[in-house]
Amino acid sequence: MAERRLHEFIQALRGAGVRISPVEAEEAFRAAALVGYAGRDRFRESLAMTLAKSQLERLEFDRCFEAFFQFESVDGDGENDATDGARPDGEGLEEEVAELVAQTPEGLEQTLARAAGEIDFTAMEVITQQGLYARRLLMSMGMGAVDDEILRLDGSPKSADQRRAAQLRDWRQQVRDLAVGYVRRQFELHGRAHGRALREHTMRAAPFRELREFQQVRLLVQRMARRLASLHQRRQKRAKRGALDARRTLKASLRYNAVPVEMHWRDRQRLRSKVLVICDVSSSVREAARFLLQFLYAMTDVLPKVRSFAFASRFDEVTGDFDRYEPDIAVGRILDRLSGSGTDYGTMFKEFANLCGGEIDRHTTVIVLGDARNNDLPAGEQHLAEISRRARQVFWLNPEPESRWNSGDAIMASYLPFCRSARRCANLNDLSRFTDYLLRNV
Amino acid sequence: MKTRIESVEDVVRNFAAQDYICDQRTALAVYLAAQLHKPVLVEGPPGVGKTELAKAAAAFLEAPLIRMQCYEGLDESRALYEWKYGKQLLYTQLLRDKLSDLLGDAEGLEASIKRLGDLGDAFYSETFLEPRPLLKALRSDEPVVLLIDEIDKADQEFEAFLLELLSDFQISIPEMGTVKARHQPLVFLTSNDQRELSDALKRRCLHLYIPYPGADLERRILAQRVPELGEQLREQLVAFIQHLREQDMKKLPAISETLDWARALVLLHAETLEPELVEQTLALVLKNEQDVALARDILPHWFRKPRAS
Repeated sequence: MAERRLHEFIQALRGAGVRISPVEAEEAFRAAALVGYAGRDRFRESLAMTLAKSQLERLEFDRCFEAFFQFESVDGDGENDATDGARPDGEGLEEEVAELVAQTPEGLEQTLARAAGEIDFTAMEVITQQGLYARRLLMSMGMGAVDDEILRLDGSPKSADQRRAAQLRDWRQQVRDLAVGYVRRQFELHGRAHGRALREHTMRAAPFRELREFQQVRLLVQRMARRLASLHQRRQKRAKRGALDARRTLKASLRYNAVPVEMHWRDRQRLRSKVLVICDVSSSVREAARFLLQFLYAMTDVLPKVRSFAFASRFDEVTGDFDRYEPDIAVGRILDRLSGSGTDYGTMFKEFANLCGGEIDRHTTVIVLGDARNNDLPAGEQHLAEISRRARQVFWLNPEPESRWNSGDAIMASYLPFCRSARRCANLNDLSRFTDYLLRNV
Repeated sequence: MKTRIESVEDVVRNFAAQDYICDQRTALAVYLAAQLHKPVLVEGPPGVGKTELAKAAAAFLEAPLIRMQCYEGLDESRALYEWKYGKQLLYTQLLRDKLSDLLGDAEGLEASIKRLGDLGDAFYSETFLEPRPLLKALRSDEPVVLLIDEIDKADQEFEAFLLELLSDFQISIPEMGTVKARHQPLVFLTSNDQRELSDALKRRCLHLYIPYPGADLERRILAQRVPELGEQLREQLVAFIQHLREQDMKKLPAISETLDWARALVLLHAETLEPELVEQTLALVLKNEQDVALARDILPHWFRKPRAS
């Protein structure tokens, strides 16, 4: 029994996004067997050590542990007193029903738990299946007999039977509530597991604007960024080997009687690439800007030199905010400071060129994020042309679909000739694809 | 080496006797690691006693400690084994005559090569093998405690190389075949979280996170390590350090800084914490200019605030 519970717990943890290999699961079993189940704290710690391998996973672990083992820690009394008070008397009922009804609340809870053991809750996928599973659970408890009994009593002309039917109905409702509560807890643990993969998939493809509704989007962004960064690090390492280092090779060859057995290579100079990001933070684009900046700053390991600028009605450098605050807080501050409407791309490019024209060189990548809606002001493309001439490359990200890049007051066409590439960036998938492309090309 | 650890309490008691005060969780990790034969990955901010833990465990188990410090560019030849090239070369030079005698009567090239081939093994044998920490740990005659310090500083390749050692306690050497551990060592890996470790590595280890100590634990540590410190001063000191850790600092003071400070205060014959005294000795606790400035700012507030001590 204990083994099975532990197994279910591991399933639940997996569902919460903690990756657990079969070997780790086995270790957990061994650890649990070693320390025993008696001391809750110690039991919890030994499971945590074998299953949760980072602080982040530890948080998930604690949450799951609380949820999962709560049934055991709550005693039968307290909230269940209601069931006790309204228990109908078993007189004149079918034997099977009378037996059920006669149970104490604790006994009932045990019957419930036993019945639940026969049902595989891990197959639950969506919350709407709750009713179905609750019904299965009730049937498995033998509540079907109660339903029949109520029908039988209803049909009886005697008033005592009628009263008994009403009593029984009340009691049935309470047991139902109990079962539904149990099923909901099971769903919290297991159903989410299947839901999570689905939700993550949805999150990646959802437009930025709708992403706020998802709670775990920050974690997802972090994870995606980290995965990209480490992938890139590996790539960089492989590409690092440069020309032959004659001095070190000669020195090493002395060991082998001056035969150059071991070759030594110079490390290729890492490109001192700089990235300058200009984000439109006016209302139509701000959500995209939020995620782009979060993404770029989650990658300081591989992109050490990022300077960022934001503009809506005004234009300003925002690099400092990221030095001082966590990315998501920084983004919030920037939006508070600079948001507004009436974007003027022409003036913005001019100010940008004035501010860091001297710094733009052949190692510099400039990224512009915006919808190019210029409110019918002069495009000022000559400034972008100048920036593009001096920089290594200019990328443009536009949150709108390509068909609307030139509709209304949008003037992508004027800027496009000066961009190495322009692409749509409307969801996390786009963003991750772009960042990957950027890392290969800085 | 002790073969059996009786219980978690056993660990706590023995560690305390060695002046290493730890919480239940840390002791439990040592206990589980020894019983399950799993390496422990110890994470936590610098200065909370990660390395000390391995030392204490070695003393507790009465086993020698083999320590390997990781750094960027660490490779197999410095972690595992190396051939003594110089010695090999010297021997071939010295044995030149002997060699030509041996080869002298061999007919033709192939026969010579064949004979040389037989000899070749002699040059790649124990005599010329220089064992480095990992190999030492595996081949030791008694069980050892192996400390792989700051694994996050080593390259990813090295991490991958360690996997075989951590899961099977064996390592493959091309010239010698697979070396299996004579006795399974108790392995501690420490990390300061400079970079994310690979999932594969984490999967093979128990995970222990040592945070900054809470007030209670810190008081106990201080009482044990710097018993000369008066009780009132100890209370004040711990309260102040705990307060500092709540600030947004570049480098938070760790337990080692607390101990340094406490020792300094004992030397200065301080009785209570005074603002001037704190100002003068702040550099012992905080190692960053900005942090010191920040601490100076909060000092007056802290001393004005009435405390329940």
